[in-house]
Amino acid sequence: MRTFVANLGPWNPVGSAATAIYCLFICLPVAALLFKAVQQGNLLESALSETALLALRLSLVTSAISMVLVILVGTPFARLLARNRSLPMRIIDQLVELPIILPPVVAGVAMLLAFGRQGVLGPCLSALGISLPFTAGAVVFAQVFVAAPFYIRSAKLGFMAVPKEYEDISQTLGVSPLRTFFRLVVPLAAPSLLTGIALAWARALSEFGATIMFAGNLTGKTQTMPLAIMSAMESSLDTAVALSVMLLIGALAILTALTILTRNNWRSAP
Amino acid sequence: MMNRPAGEQALTGARGWAKYRVGDFSLDVEWEAEAGEVLTLFGPSGAGKTTILRAIAGLVKPQEGRVEIGGRTVFDSKTGLWEPPHKRRIGLLTQNYHLFPNLSVSENIAYGLSGLDSTSRRERVTELVESFQLDELEERRPHEISGGQQQRAALARALAPGPSLMLLDEPFNSLDVELRRALRSELRASIISAGIPAIMVTHDIEEAISMGDSVQVINDGRVEAAGRPLEILGQPGQGRVARLIGVENLLDLAVASLHPQDGTMVCSAGEAGLRLEVPLSDVRRDEEVTVGIRASDIILAHTEPVGSSARNRIAGVVSGVQLRPPGYEVTLQCPGVQLKCHITGTSLNEMGVKQGDELWAVFKASSCFLVRDQG
Repeated sequence: MRTFVANLGPWNPVGSAATAIYCLFICLPVAALLFKAVQQGNLLESALSETALLALRLSLVTSAISMVLVILVGTPFARLLARNRSLPMRIIDQLVELPIILPPVVAGVAMLLAFGRQGVLGPCLSALGISLPFTAGAVVFAQVFVAAPFYIRSAKLGFMAVPKEYEDISQTLGVSPLRTFFRLVVPLAAPSLLTGIALAWARALSEFGATIMFAGNLTGKTQTMPLAIMSAMESSLDTAVALSVMLLIGALAILTALTILTRNNWRSAP
Repeated sequence: MMNRPAGEQALTGARGWAKYRVGDFSLDVEWEAEAGEVLTLFGPSGAGKTTILRAIAGLVKPQEGRVEIGGRTVFDSKTGLWEPPHKRRIGLLTQNYHLFPNLSVSENIAYGLSGLDSTSRRERVTELVESFQLDELEERRPHEISGGQQQRAALARALAPGPSLMLLDEPFNSLDVELRRALRSELRASIISAGIPAIMVTHDIEEAISMGDSVQVINDGRVEAAGRPLEILGQPGQGRVARLIGVENLLDLAVASLHPQDGTMVCSAGEAGLRLEVPLSDVRRDEEVTVGIRASDIILAHTEPVGSSARNRIAGVVSGVQLRPPGYEVTLQCPGVQLKCHITGTSLNEMGVKQGDELWAVFKASSCFLVRDQG
């Protein structure tokens, strides 16, 4: 039976038009980038230049270290946020999101003022012989600062979705709270944890503003992929395109892995 | 200690008391359940029944109290003793069963068996799967099995590590009424055969009466009454309670005609269905009513007992005979309805009742009572 109402179904014209416009808006720049990369031909050569490889290695190493730190600190923190809904914890919960809305450049300036030589912790750090700014350590700091909220928020929602009764029952079955967490809570929250990791990792890989303010742009030392792309744009568009394509492929790989990993047969249960 | 035959466990009960205050709510209770017995905690929602279970399990810590399970003290506020839940050896069955959704049925049952080596663990799981009739379902996920099967799986999981006490929190709540009645005796039998005490929380008087060896009425955090179920909750002669005690025959009928001169009315199950004479009530013609008859109030006869004062004589075919201690339950297929009748083993033998027999069900109009469905 065809009625006017049926036109507001899955293929209604407004929705279809909006979908088409949005897809074009997203796909056109990506397509242009890929087209340019194919056109220039010497993609591999540019991508394998020393500067590019150094940037790639630095990006992978620093973002991996950042992820380990984010997971180690973020997981117990997110767990507490999920379970403790007291007023102080709810205020802290709001503050967690601050780095998401804060412009990364501002975050970089703020980190300099906190951990820089003239910063709040500067004297303490230099007394210990540590100088953070313009080192790979500063790159990690910047990445953790901007990326952690994405993991913590996702993990918190995942933990909140695990009913307390599962843990109660696990404990009555003789399993300690700590082992219950690893045997039961983590597997049940796994889709959210993986989503959080993917989002945070993508954010860490693309980190630019805070890094350039706090860590600088030193080739082979603090120059990550996004910084290398910006530097390359000043000299050679070809290198910039090659590096961009590499980052794009990395992002797509994360997205695909995420889709596969979070496809969970019991989540789809009614 | 005296010599005890090998394999025999110390059958000791569970007892304790607790005072627990949180916000405006305060709880002040004591409990005692013998091994192989079920204590039901009966009361309205919010009375504190579930909190008692949680205090026994160690999931909340009362300010004062003492919890003894299987001869072991696991909590004593005087000495500061506090064993965490995972050391208390307790089985917990919740109203939604909370089977772990990411694990299969057999993985759920094996969950609490991590102390065993893999061979004994597999043996124990197989044993439980068999005794709880979960064969063929081992590899299924919890959402792929029925509510009754979920209850059995959750009970198997709870009993697997050999708890010293079973706690049941409204275990029938998520099942429909038909299934509740069917599973009640099954659940009770499983717990009793485990030889441990059980404490069950319910707000359903019928469950409290049919499941518990003893019952405590909990209201507003206090024990209002304690004793044998029927002493506390049963008030014979009152129709409402009779229904709640578990009336075996509840027939949905329509009022066909009213006979005020006899103080009766006739209710029927459709055009060709049976007609019952029941006590007159304040209803209109054609109104739909539920008529209850206790299975033990029905007399069975081979031939129609003409010239009897019993107003209801209904012919039917025996469709089932089941052992139901202390006697038997005979199911009679009558036009439009099934009637369940309880008779003794002697009667069964003398009459030679077997499936397919044609029998007459006979009962007085006054044995029938009306239950108006008011939700």
